[in-house]
Amino acid sequence: MRPENYQAVSHPPSHEYEVFFGPNHPGIEGNYALKVRLHGDEVTAARADGGYLHRGFEKLMEGRLWIQNIALVPRICVPDPVPMEVCYSLAIEALGGLEVPERAQWIRVMQLELSRIAAHLFTFGGNAATTGMYTPMFWGIADRDLILDLFEELSGGRVYHIYNIPGGVRRDLPEGYLKRVSDTLDYIESRLPDYDNLMFTNQVFVRRATGVGIMTQEQALDWGVTGPNLRATGLPFDVRRDDPYLIYDQLEFDVPVEEAGDAWARTLVRRAELKQSLRILRQVVARLPEIDGPIRAPIPNPLAWNLPLGDVYTRVESSKGELAYYVVSNGGDKPWRVHVRGPSAMHAVQVLEHLVTGARIEDVAQIMFSLDACPPEVDR
Amino acid sequence: MEMIQAALGWLPMWLQVLMMIVLKIVVILIPLMLSVAYLTYAERKVIGYIQVRIGPNRVGPIGLLQPIADAVKLIFKEIIVPAGSDKLLFLLAPILAMAPALAAWAVVPFQPGMVLADVNAGLLYILALTSMGVYGIIIAGWASNSKYAFIGAIRSAAQVVSYEIAMGFALVGVLVAAGSLNLGQIVLAQSGSILHWFWLPLLPLMVVYFISGVAETNRAPFDLAEGESEIVAGFHVEYSGTPFAVFFLAEYANMILIATLSAVLFLGGWLSPFQGIPGLAEGALGAPSMLWLFIKVAFFLFLFLWFRATFPRYRYDQVMRLGWKVFIPITIVWLLVVAGMVVGELPPWFA
Repeated sequence: MRPENYQAVSHPPSHEYEVFFGPNHPGIEGNYALKVRLHGDEVTAARADGGYLHRGFEKLMEGRLWIQNIALVPRICVPDPVPMEVCYSLAIEALGGLEVPERAQWIRVMQLELSRIAAHLFTFGGNAATTGMYTPMFWGIADRDLILDLFEELSGGRVYHIYNIPGGVRRDLPEGYLKRVSDTLDYIESRLPDYDNLMFTNQVFVRRATGVGIMTQEQALDWGVTGPNLRATGLPFDVRRDDPYLIYDQLEFDVPVEEAGDAWARTLVRRAELKQSLRILRQVVARLPEIDGPIRAPIPNPLAWNLPLGDVYTRVESSKGELAYYVVSNGGDKPWRVHVRGPSAMHAVQVLEHLVTGARIEDVAQIMFSLDACPPEVDR
Repeated sequence: MEMIQAALGWLPMWLQVLMMIVLKIVVILIPLMLSVAYLTYAERKVIGYIQVRIGPNRVGPIGLLQPIADAVKLIFKEIIVPAGSDKLLFLLAPILAMAPALAAWAVVPFQPGMVLADVNAGLLYILALTSMGVYGIIIAGWASNSKYAFIGAIRSAAQVVSYEIAMGFALVGVLVAAGSLNLGQIVLAQSGSILHWFWLPLLPLMVVYFISGVAETNRAPFDLAEGESEIVAGFHVEYSGTPFAVFFLAEYANMILIATLSAVLFLGGWLSPFQGIPGLAEGALGAPSMLWLFIKVAFFLFLFLWFRATFPRYRYDQVMRLGWKVFIPITIVWLLVVAGMVVGELPPWFA
């Protein structure tokens, strides 16, 4: 701005002032913005200002063939792409009446849980970084990279795998893949005590997170919050257990719950979930070699594939909460309408505004990260 | 030293004295500046390895020229003075932050007799100067005319007020124990053996002093004045180029100063840790030397870096609580204990 164009900001006599958090700010997740109104360093009002990552996925999907959209969906949530692919595939399979072979289902579960671990490691680090502790962030990213290596080996892509396609999965497991998965799980499990020492038993961090951004169970239910954020308020709701998809009903796992509903409870739930994901993956690695058969159900020529008239709602549990696709087909070769229920859209706009109000300015970034908001998923 | 004096012998006496002082200042400041530069390098390397990264390794062998490259880059950058800022104060602030960080070195003893100004009020001088640094930060935050900078400045002011007191009490403990305000005398009062150093009788004061020092230099976990996840860079958010570099230098020079003072006041300064151990004390190992001081300083500096890698930032109210409700009571109580020890002539320290 040229000096002659500069006009001093006039502040109301209330001593309140506005501060921008984002869209390009070290304490904000992705391209997202919060405008907070401060009194001293207490937030009196907040406005979430999204849309910087709006790419119009739902509309784009209407212009593409059913099979082409597979390449589009993982981009909706970058840190946790596999649930997007699986959920979209589940929707098409339900519409087209495809039966997914059992082996493909197990492979999908393996991918889903690996992706959950990767996303949680990412979130831990981000959460710690908002309090000025960058070491868990780098550790999380380094350990997550091992999982991305596994994805890369299987699908050729580290972030966007485009591996789950309607009817099954694209490729069978390479030789020795399960061994490498198992080794990676061992490594991540051996790293957990380090994370505990650095972060989860670090009294400074515990005190920073306790009592910050409290959400009651009623509020969470009213606002449609799901996933770890809901479970941190004491309600053990998990789509994997309460509405099992794929082969989750054959697996043993707990649904970790915390009562407090604050940032610390949410962090603890994620940590416990990481352990449960490791447990699930161990079962999958043990069972997968026994399960033979095709990895893909035969589908018609995908370039001229008309799905029957109808609509379907499928949901999976992503690392952020209940992820759902509502897909309507008018009998054509393209979707007539796709609606994505991104779990972050529930907790990253109004809920975030609400929780941030009354908090201190130091805790704004922490609240956003403890909710695990995923801006690309909000904007879609 | 005599050689230089002889070489300057043809000059008038007042000019000789002046030249000697200037020479001593240069001899202290140039290594200090180099240490600051390589402290940034050490920080990036140490924290890099803690965070499973490599750190700088592109400029020069194993990245050794990185600090030079950084300095050159910052010097050649444009100095942006924001519209609506107070230009004079804006440019004065980095100088105000830097000057005390350098001036305090005048009374720091490196070796017996090796000190720029052997004044008897050395500790008072240090106390006065280390509290000056915060004015640079407050003025920077005020003059920038930016909300982020202003919040940072206010935080810094409140923080320094609460930590200065605990720090002052810790220094009073040293004063009581050593019976002198002269830093050289304080070191000599600790001679005997590693157990005679003040870290043992004044252990709580040492911990409080060092943590207060971390808070005073605005380093993690007390870097609220910068708090990048909320107020981006705090007080120096509007600074660029050389003024920013000066703030940077001041922060690191202050770190080295606090580490040096901790070593001088509590770890026996230049004294050898092998002093008083039969068999080891006689040789070169037992001799007092500047090297021992540098090793101790390096230890404290490593703590600074270690803290930064492993602690989250305290929240503002937690910082206040820690300062007023934990540190000040601890120091007051231990001050009484120290006084009791000195009056009771408790061996081996005060006999």
